[in-house]
Amino acid sequence: MSEVASDIAFARRLRVAVHTDDPLRRTAFCKIIAEAGHTVVDMQDEADIVLADGSRPPEGARSVVGLGIMDERFRGALPREADARQIDAAIRAVAAGLIVRAPVRENGFGAMRESEGHALLTPRELEVLAALAEGMTNKAIARRLDISLHTVKFHVESLFRKLGARTRTEAVAKAAERRRSEIIML
Amino acid sequence: MSFPPDVLGQLSNAISARAEAAKNAVVAVHLGEGRHLTGMVWQSGVVVVSEQSLPRGDEFELVAPGGSTVAAKLSGRDASTNIAILKTADAIAAPALAAAEAHMGALALAIGADGEGGASARLGVVNLVGGEWHSRRGGLIDRRIVLDIDLAHREEGGPVFDTAGGCLGMSTFGPRGQVIVIPHATLTRVVPQLVKDGHVARGWLGVALQAVAVPDALRESADQSGGMMVMSVVEHGPAAQAGIVAGDIILSVDGISAHRLRKIARYFGADSIGRKADIRLIRSGAIITVQTTIAERRTA
Repeated sequence: MSEVASDIAFARRLRVAVHTDDPLRRTAFCKIIAEAGHTVVDMQDEADIVLADGSRPPEGARSVVGLGIMDERFRGALPREADARQIDAAIRAVAAGLIVRAPVRENGFGAMRESEGHALLTPRELEVLAALAEGMTNKAIARRLDISLHTVKFHVESLFRKLGARTRTEAVAKAAERRRSEIIML
Repeated sequence: MSFPPDVLGQLSNAISARAEAAKNAVVAVHLGEGRHLTGMVWQSGVVVVSEQSLPRGDEFELVAPGGSTVAAKLSGRDASTNIAILKTADAIAAPALAAAEAHMGALALAIGADGEGGASARLGVVNLVGGEWHSRRGGLIDRRIVLDIDLAHREEGGPVFDTAGGCLGMSTFGPRGQVIVIPHATLTRVVPQLVKDGHVARGWLGVALQAVAVPDALRESADQSGGMMVMSVVEHGPAAQAGIVAGDIILSVDGISAHRLRKIARYFGADSIGRKADIRLIRSGAIITVQTTIAERRTA
């Protein structure tokens, strides 16, 4: 068995130190780390992983997962807005001897997309989508928009088809993605 | 198999000489925490950088070729063409950058700044070359040039050369980390405007728009299947003055279908400022036309 593999017992609690200047972010990170089943330790203590937010940890820190910092030397590099799942995954992966990188620049300098080519949403579908994003049920949507339950179902199905989504959550996520590239300022 | 034994050596020497010659065309723009971005010395005292990666702010510190630190001020930035201009307090000697056209499959050399007054080089081929295109922000880019080159973040904004030493333009990141070039022709067009005015003049209505399908009931009378729904209206902007409100669906501007984004982007060039425009739109189930005067876009 390789050294790396023998080093990591599954379900082992990792000792994670948090390096950040922002007390609010610290509280959030400590919560994420604890909920993921790890232990938060002080920077001075021996840590398996240092989670560094925004600025570099002191020299000598071994396995660093950086948030919003570009440094090729870090074993882990996540965007500043990484979520709890990604932070936990990065901590575990780096502890297992892997290198973690988030895909860079999804939104680099790109071309304006013509809206033809994929089915546009109607204004009504956008309203239904906004309600879906708030987690409303079909019944609640029918009440809000003053339309029949049958019509709501019809719009939801049409949304799923146009967005290529299978669930309500997926529809909301895909629509948000589309909006980012579709909204233009004139 | 036989070939002149020094062919590879000659190629390597030629590339190395080109890279060496390009050293004085790049500066490092400090971003703090030991990070930097590359800038391209366009004229004496005028440095071009990639707008999308330049932090907000007016004052920057550069490392000039050779390693001296030079203060610089933001002179202008244009997100629509991804070009920003820094003016340096002390003159930096500008190398002659001759324009060159990109050819698919040709070798390209991308130069970055190493942060200490030197340069770093990347070699690859021109992956593809296409015609003009419009950026998401509506800017016109004269050619589509994609490189088959991996670029570090610190190298973005440097010049890209062909094998004859001609300059294809400035390197930058496109979507999904793709490395593209802002063509020399675009720089030549935009840099003087930015140096002079600090921004690129464009027509402006003051609305955020999203493409939507025209509701079935109105499709026939609208005579088009798509429009642009107004998501927000800038206070006191031309659209606001014409009474346009969020939820309106703009069908056309002076007869140009609003969802033809490229045509619209072209129509709102600098020459559109001050022009009266008829805007045809759907409001509460009816098609109406309002008129407004296209204004000049405020700096982002």
